[in-house]
Amino acid sequence: MIRKGTLLLLALGTAWAAPKKPVYVGVRECAACHGGMSMGNQYSQWLHTKHSQAYASLAKPESREITKLSGLRMEPQQAPICLGCHATAAHTEDWERDPDFRFEDGVQCEGCHGPGSEYMTEAVMRDREAAMKAGLRMPTERECLNCHIEKGSHVAVLHTPQYDFKKGLETIRHPLAKNPKPAPIAAVPPPDPEAKGPKFAGAAECGKCHSGPRMGYQYSLWQMSAHARAWATLATPAGLEQAKKKGVADPQSDPACLKCHAPAAVPARLASVRIEEGVGCEACHGPGSAYVAEAIMLDKRAATQAGLRQVTRETCVTCHDAKTFKYDEALKKIAHPTRTAVANSDPRYKTPLRLAIRPGGRELWVTCEAADSVIVIDLGARRKVAEIAVGGNPTGVAFSPDGRRAFVTNRLDNTVTAIDAASRAVLKTLPTGTEPHDVTTDRQGKLLYVLNTSSDDISVFDAVSLQWIKNLSASRGPWSLSLSPDGSSILVTNTLARYSAPRTPFVSEVTQVETERGTVDNRVVVPDANLITGIDWHPSGRFALATMNRTKNLVPMTRLLQGWTITNGLAVLWRDGGVDEVLLDEPDLGFADATDIACTPDGRYALATSSGTDRVAVVDVAALTGLLERSSKYEREHVLPNHLGKPTEFILKHLPTGHSPRGIVVAPDGKKAYVANSLDDTIGVIDLGKLEPDGVIDLGGPKEITRQRTGERLFHNAKITFHRQYSCHSCHPDGHVDGLAYDIEADGIGISPVDNRTLRGILDTAPFKWEGTNPSLQRQCGPRLAVFFTRLTPFNPQELDALDYYITTIPRPPNRFRALNAALTPAQRRGKAVYERTNTNDGREMRVTDRCLTCHPPPYFTDRKVHDVGTKQPNDRTGKFDVPHLNNIYDSAPYLHNGMAATLEEIWTVYNAYDTHGVTNDMTKDQLNDLVEYLKTL
Amino acid sequence: MKLASTAILTVAAAGMLAAAGPPEKLPYVYTHWKQFTVADGLPNDHIFAVKVDGPRVWIGTENGLAMLDKRTGKIKTWTEKDGLPWRVVTGIAVHPKTGDVWLALFGGGLARLSGGRFDHWHQLNSGLVNDVVYAVAIENDNVWAATTAGASRYNTVTGEWTIFTEKNSPMEEIWNYGVNYADGKVHLAVWGSGILEYDIATGHWKEYLDPDKEMEIDLYRDDGIVHVITTGVSYIDGAMWVSTYFGASRYDGRHWRGYYNQDSGVPSDFMNNIKARSGNEAWFCTDKGLGAIMDFPTNTWVAYTRDPKKNTGIAVVSRDKQVLETVDTGLSVPHNFIISADVDGNDVWIGTSKGLAWGIGTDYYPGLRERGGAQ
Repeated sequence: MIRKGTLLLLALGTAWAAPKKPVYVGVRECAACHGGMSMGNQYSQWLHTKHSQAYASLAKPESREITKLSGLRMEPQQAPICLGCHATAAHTEDWERDPDFRFEDGVQCEGCHGPGSEYMTEAVMRDREAAMKAGLRMPTERECLNCHIEKGSHVAVLHTPQYDFKKGLETIRHPLAKNPKPAPIAAVPPPDPEAKGPKFAGAAECGKCHSGPRMGYQYSLWQMSAHARAWATLATPAGLEQAKKKGVADPQSDPACLKCHAPAAVPARLASVRIEEGVGCEACHGPGSAYVAEAIMLDKRAATQAGLRQVTRETCVTCHDAKTFKYDEALKKIAHPTRTAVANSDPRYKTPLRLAIRPGGRELWVTCEAADSVIVIDLGARRKVAEIAVGGNPTGVAFSPDGRRAFVTNRLDNTVTAIDAASRAVLKTLPTGTEPHDVTTDRQGKLLYVLNTSSDDISVFDAVSLQWIKNLSASRGPWSLSLSPDGSSILVTNTLARYSAPRTPFVSEVTQVETERGTVDNRVVVPDANLITGIDWHPSGRFALATMNRTKNLVPMTRLLQGWTITNGLAVLWRDGGVDEVLLDEPDLGFADATDIACTPDGRYALATSSGTDRVAVVDVAALTGLLERSSKYEREHVLPNHLGKPTEFILKHLPTGHSPRGIVVAPDGKKAYVANSLDDTIGVIDLGKLEPDGVIDLGGPKEITRQRTGERLFHNAKITFHRQYSCHSCHPDGHVDGLAYDIEADGIGISPVDNRTLRGILDTAPFKWEGTNPSLQRQCGPRLAVFFTRLTPFNPQELDALDYYITTIPRPPNRFRALNAALTPAQRRGKAVYERTNTNDGREMRVTDRCLTCHPPPYFTDRKVHDVGTKQPNDRTGKFDVPHLNNIYDSAPYLHNGMAATLEEIWTVYNAYDTHGVTNDMTKDQLNDLVEYLKTL
Repeated sequence: MKLASTAILTVAAAGMLAAAGPPEKLPYVYTHWKQFTVADGLPNDHIFAVKVDGPRVWIGTENGLAMLDKRTGKIKTWTEKDGLPWRVVTGIAVHPKTGDVWLALFGGGLARLSGGRFDHWHQLNSGLVNDVVYAVAIENDNVWAATTAGASRYNTVTGEWTIFTEKNSPMEEIWNYGVNYADGKVHLAVWGSGILEYDIATGHWKEYLDPDKEMEIDLYRDDGIVHVITTGVSYIDGAMWVSTYFGASRYDGRHWRGYYNQDSGVPSDFMNNIKARSGNEAWFCTDKGLGAIMDFPTNTWVAYTRDPKKNTGIAVVSRDKQVLETVDTGLSVPHNFIISADVDGNDVWIGTSKGLAWGIGTDYYPGLRERGGAQ
C-alpha cells in the first residue's frame, strides 16, 4: 500500500527534498489489530483513558483560563502549544498524516509510540527489533514528562497534583491478552448500501459543523460524555462480566448489546460511521444521512422532515431503565448547548496608547490597544464621538496632510488600517512588516512610512494607491517618528540598542529618512542609551527631542542605591547630526519610563510623559538649550548625560496624570496638550497657559479594576523601586526584552552576567533565572526582586498576586514565520528534519542527549531542566543553565545565557565547537540555514 | 578635437579611409580621461570594483571603500577603522529602491552600508555560504552573493538565506566569480561551470557550458560559451556577454559569438571582468588592457592601453583583426591590468591594479558614425 504521505514524498523528488519519514496513521489503524478481545481490547482501554479525550478537554472553560495564563490569545483547540500535548502529531504538516488521521482523537497510540506507517504491519510488529528499527517507540518517563511536567497554568486552574509517572502509567495501562492474536474490533454487519430509509452517518459527520466555540464545542462535549464510551464500556471487566451472565462472549459484537451501546452498528449506515463511537448524536436525534447536510440543518423544518428528532424522555428510555432513569439529571450530564457562556467575560479595557490631532484641530484620534479600536474625540465638546474597529493592538495613528485619511498601525495583526476620516469607514487594510508601531506620511502625502518594531524595518507605501514600495532597514525596534518642520526628513527612534558584544557598552540609533528619495541617509548614534521611544521635532527645526533610558547594565543592579541602574532622560538630536543627552530624573525622584514627548508650537515648552511615575515634565526648552550651550564639550559628553542635579535647571514643573501616561500631543493652537492615560482609559488634558491639569476625557472603558489590571498597573509603575527609578516595564518593555545582558548580583563586577529573558508565556517555563534557581514567579517577583532589583520593601501579598497574575497573562504574539496551520516552506521542512534527526550526516546514531528534541521537545521546546552545553565563561558561577523555550525565538536576540550569540547561527558556528550543545558540527551550511528557518517557526 | 590632430593613421594594408568611396564609419573613442589613485585620496590603488550610483561613484579597493562625489570631486573613504567590516572590497551593488550599498568582501563576507552604518553578514553569524565573496547583485528585494563555495541569496524582507551549490543547481563547480541581475534573470559566472541562468519567475536553472568541454582552444567557433572558466557576465537587451580566462562570448538567445585576441580587437584572452552597455557594446577587463566592442554587428573594437614608458595611452580601433585607426589618447587607463568597469551614461569608469580611470564621453555616440574631421 502506498500512502498519501509517501506519494507526496515521492513527488518531492530529489535528494534536496525533505527526507522520507514515517507518517501518522491514526488510532483506528492501530485498532485494526489491537481492537479485538484476543488482543485484550486495547483500543477500548484507550477509549477509557484521558488520553482519548485530551483534545476534547480543551473545550472546557478551564482550558480557556489556562490558555490565558499561558500567554496565548487563541482558542485552545487552535493553539499549537495546547495541541502539542492534547493531540498527537500537532506539529506535523498535512502530508505527515494519513487522510483518516484526526486530531480530535486526542493523544493516540502514536503520541507515545511514534508515527506508525513504517512499523504498523503485523509482520513488522511481530518482530520487536524490526518494529523498533521502523520507528516504534516505548515511551520513557522523560518523554512522558515532556507533557506531564508540572505547568503553572494548569496548576493554577486545575490544582493538579504533581505528576507521578508510575501512577500515570497505571491510568493508561493497556495490557495485551494472554497469547495475543491480532484482531480488529468486533465484527458487526457491514453497511448495506441498499438499505432503505435514513442511515447513520456517524458522529464525526455531525462534528464537522458542531465543533468549536461558535457551536458550543458540541462535538467535544459529546466526546467527553459517557455516551461516547458506551461501546468501549462493553469491554471493561464489568461489561464483560455482565455479558457473561447473559451468555454473551463478546458483547462488542452482540446485536443486543450494540443496540444501546452502538446503535449505529446496523446495516443502515454509511461508511463514515465508526462503530466505536458508541452512542453518537444520531442515537438520540435519529439517523442523519438525510439531514446532515448543512443546508438542511439550517432549515429546521426541512431537517425535521429529513429525520432530525427532538429528544424526549421516551427517546432515552428505549435504552435506559425507565424505572430508574432520571431524565432531567441525565440531560444535565450530556448538556451540549449551542450557545455557551460568554467566551471571555473579562472586562474589555481601552488602554489608550498614542494620539493624533486631525488636521483642522477639531478631532483627537486615540489608538486603544486593548479594545482594537480608534476612538475619535470631539475636542470642542471633550467627548468621544466615534469608536472605529481596526486591527489587533492598534498603536500609532497619523493622517494624510489633507486630513482625509487616517492610518492606524495594528501591531498584533501586522497591518495598517487606512480609514476615511470623515465617514470613519475602513478603506483598506495593508499588510506590513511585523508589529507595525507608528506611521506617518511625508509632507506632500505621497509616501506612507510604517515602522515595524519586530522586523526592524520601515515599510514604505504609496500613500495614495496604498501599494507597498519597499522596506528600509531601521535599527532594532523602530518605535516612533517625527517629520521635520521643513518636511525634508523623518527621524525614527529605535527602542533596542544595537547589539554589543558581552561586557561592552552599547549604543542606540535614531534613524533618519530623507523624504525626497525615501531612503535612509543617516543613522544618529546615541551612546549608552536604550529604549529611545517618543520623539518630536522642535518647531525651529534646529533639533528634535527624544525620550530615552540610560541603562547601566555592566554594573550590578544593586548600584541602584547610588542612583545608578537605569536613568531616564532626553536625547537632543541636532540638525547637524550631533547628540546631547540629559536626564529627567532628580536625585531622589526618578522620571521612570520617559515615554513620549511633544513640543508646543511656539517652541517654548516640551512635555514629556513618565509612564512609570504618572507625571508629565514640562521642559523649558530655552533653559535646556542654554544649559547645553554653556557647557563644555567634555561636560556635554561626560557630565550632563549622568547629572541628576541638572534637570531642575530646565524642568519647570511636573504635572500629575492618570495611570501610566504614554502618548502626548499638543494642539495646533498651543493651548492644550492631551495625554493618553493608558491604564485609566482616559485622556488627560493640560492647560498650557496655566501649565496645569485641566480635567480628563473618559474613553468609556470598564470601571471595574480586575486583578489583571491591578497587576498591569503595578508592572508599569516605578513605586516599587528606590527613588522610583524604574518599573518592571523598564527592562521588560511590553513584557518582552530590552535586548541587554545584566550583571545582577552584587558579587563583583561582571560575575555571571545574564541575558534578559522574555516574560511572554513565562508561567509554564519554570524554573526561572538562567541558572534555574527560582522555582516560582512569587519568589522571582517578591523577595528576589527586592534584594537584587528594587532595594525597597517588596510588593505586599495582594500586590504580588496581582502582579504575577498579570505577568502570566502577557501574551506572546503569533509566530511571524508560520501562520497557524500553514504548510512549512521547503527550507523550513528540511530544517525540521534536521531538528528531529537521530543520525549524523555520516550515518552514526546520535546519542539521545545530543539531539535537539531531547532538551527542546515540543510544545514549549524546553525540558525545563538545567544542562551544561559548554557555554560557561570564565566569570560564570556555573556552566549549567536553564534550557530556554524556543517559541518565537527569532524575536529575542541575542542568545545564550549571557547574550554572547548575536544570531541564532552563532549558537552553533561560534559557541558549539565541541558538539556540547547537540551534535551540529557535521552539518553543512545549508543544513544549518534550514535549521534556523525551522527554528523561527516554533 | 584633440585626437583628430594627433591621430596616427597606421592604416592597414587595404588603406582604409581611402579617398575613394564613402567615409569609414567609426566608433566613439574616449580621449578625455581622468585618473584617481592613492595620491588623490583613494585608500588603495588596487581597484577591484567600481559602481556608479547617480552622482556617487563607489570604489572597492584592496584596502577599503571609497565614494567619489562627481559633483564636488571629493573622495570619502572607509577602512576597517571606520567600521568597514573587512578591508578587501571586491564587489559593489546599490539597491535601486533603498539606496543601500552592498559590498562583496573578499574573505569578509557581505556588508551593507546604509545611512552611514555598516551591517555585516558572514558565514558564522548568518546564512552566507562563504566569506570569500567575489561579487554581489541586487534582484528585486534579494541580494545575491557570488562566493567561493556557491551562491547565496538573502531576502532583505524575510531575512531568509538560500544557498545554491551543486546540491540544488547545475553548478558543477561552486567557485562563483560573478553575478548579475537583469530582466528577470540572475546570471552566475562560475569558475569551471560556465554561466548559470536562474529564471526568477519559474525558479528554473539553465546552464551554459563550453561544448568543447575543458579544451582551452575553441574547436568549433560560435557553438557556445568559449570556456567554462568564466569571470563575469552581463545581460542586457536580451544579450548575454561573458568574460572568461580564455576569451569572451556573446549570446543573443539564438546565436553564439566568440571573441579572441587572435581574431578581434580585445587586447588579451585573459579577462577579469565584463560590463556591457547594450546588446551592441561591451567592455572587457583584461590583463593587457581594456577592450571595448563598440559595434557588435561589424565586430568593431576599441582597445585602450597605456604605455608604461611614456605614461600615455593609445586607443586602437579595429574591425575583426584589421586596425582602422590608432588614437593617442594622452591620459588613459592608469594600468593595463584591468579589473573592473562600470558604465555611467556617456562615461565609463575603469578599475585597474594601479588606480581608477574615468573616461568622459561628453559627445559619446553608440555604434558607428561617419566622423569626418572630428569625433
